[in-house]
Amino acid sequence: MELKPLEDIQKPNLIKEIFPHSAPPRILFEDKIRETIDGGEVEFDPQSVIDRDIHITDTTFRDGQQSRPPYTREQMTRIYSMLSKLGGKEGIIRQTEFFLYTKNDRDAIDACRDLGLRYPEITGWIRANIGDFRLVKEMGLKESGLLTSCSDYHIFHKQKQTRQQAMDEYLGVVEAALESGVRPRCHLEDVTRADIGGFVIPFVQRLEKLTENQPDSLRVKIRLCDTMGFGLSYPNVAEPRSIPKLIYRMKEECGISGDRLEWHGHNDFHKVHINGATAWIYGVDAVNTTLFGFGERTGNPPLEGAVMEYIALKGDLCGMDLSVITELVEFFQKDVGASIPSNYPFAGRDFNTTRAGIHAGGLRRNEEIYTIFDTRELLGRPPKVAITDKSGTDGVALWVNDFLGLEGDKRLSLTKVVKIQRWVMDQYEKEGRLTAISEEELEKQVEQHFPELYAQAKSRKK
Amino acid sequence: MKKEEIAERLIRVTARELKMNEDRIKPEHHFAHDLGADSLKSIELVAAFEEEFDLDLEEEEALQVKTVGGAVDFFAELIPE
Repeated sequence: MELKPLEDIQKPNLIKEIFPHSAPPRILFEDKIRETIDGGEVEFDPQSVIDRDIHITDTTFRDGQQSRPPYTREQMTRIYSMLSKLGGKEGIIRQTEFFLYTKNDRDAIDACRDLGLRYPEITGWIRANIGDFRLVKEMGLKESGLLTSCSDYHIFHKQKQTRQQAMDEYLGVVEAALESGVRPRCHLEDVTRADIGGFVIPFVQRLEKLTENQPDSLRVKIRLCDTMGFGLSYPNVAEPRSIPKLIYRMKEECGISGDRLEWHGHNDFHKVHINGATAWIYGVDAVNTTLFGFGERTGNPPLEGAVMEYIALKGDLCGMDLSVITELVEFFQKDVGASIPSNYPFAGRDFNTTRAGIHAGGLRRNEEIYTIFDTRELLGRPPKVAITDKSGTDGVALWVNDFLGLEGDKRLSLTKVVKIQRWVMDQYEKEGRLTAISEEELEKQVEQHFPELYAQAKSRKK
Repeated sequence: MKKEEIAERLIRVTARELKMNEDRIKPEHHFAHDLGADSLKSIELVAAFEEEFDLDLEEEEALQVKTVGGAVDFFAELIPE
């Protein structure tokens, strides 16, 4: 081993081209990705995401509602409006799909359309039933998802059909969609557990044949549904779990271009976000998501995670307003009554709260040391510290200074707040406490030790 | 302030904060290794010295002082005779 010389530099190398702090960290690629398919090497260019029209689609009102009681029309309208604001004028959040089966869902579609917002476009979702097209037509939708399950688990065990029967039925529904002037989006349910060569490719090839001479607005779209979360992002994984191979076969063997491909994942194996990002990188333009990942069983790719991934890949906010994520958190918690885990990335109460004294010390010296990006500016969520027996005097100093709103030279030093830290430690060592110190308790300590500063801070907050 | 007075007052404060007899504290003693001051107690000691000598110290600099004798020298430089 050749020892490399230490580069003992005078100024730190903070690698700002990847960690700008003013935005989520960049994802930069240095080369193409190679995958072995049918014995040959196939190249994928991950850097193509910069130029491709990758985007986010939403299923908060469809898959998201499968995991909870129905939203009210007012709640859906409010969420729709916030999705539009978050996604910006470029429509990074391009589409959102609705159930069509209940009056509440149909009324919500009307109310959302009445807002006159361009994005997200509203699409429908129906089972593969010709009769259900009446609903799509009545609502005047231009596109609808159709359930076209493609694993033998579904075809044989659920639908009690042969593959031929299933395919004939699906193709019949797609023909009905085309006759109605509705763009069919075929949801290949359970595709990561399906026979790719024996059913999926023959079916998708026939779908493509059906619409290849149609105008672009009617050409079939394919949603790749990783229904049970079996999909894998790793190179050279065996089919049917390989996401790269699936995308390759859709594009190269079925002729489905990336702008007509969408990934829909589930989180049963904790892979939901990265599988969605993998689909983008390997050539799928749309990743289907739900707010906070709410969805059937373990949920779907979290929309807010996809937003961060998008920015990381593109290197630009592209007109998105990330502060809406925090508005959505408050709305879901206060109005919808949803529970978001406190450590949930970008959204949970404590996602940027540190409890470790050593981290609090870093935060006190330079916020960038222990923050992922400028969460104060982008999300309206300044980094916080929770006070326990582990947070140290640094943690107390950070909390007290933030509470008092002191900046620069005005911030209190460790020696000024050490009496509060002693009180904190006594709670644990002498009183046997096992819970975190509450904000109310800390406020009382601040009032006791810094009455003038406390009074000034309270009057400012009024 | 004379260095002897600084030493006397500093040892008195150290003994009070660390709950030990003054005569057990020697100039060569390391606050952490010999006198058992942990990180919290070290900050409390600096806070107590600030109060005793009516000073606002640069905390990073003050916390770098490791021994009793070093602390006497540190304050002797800050407090004119």
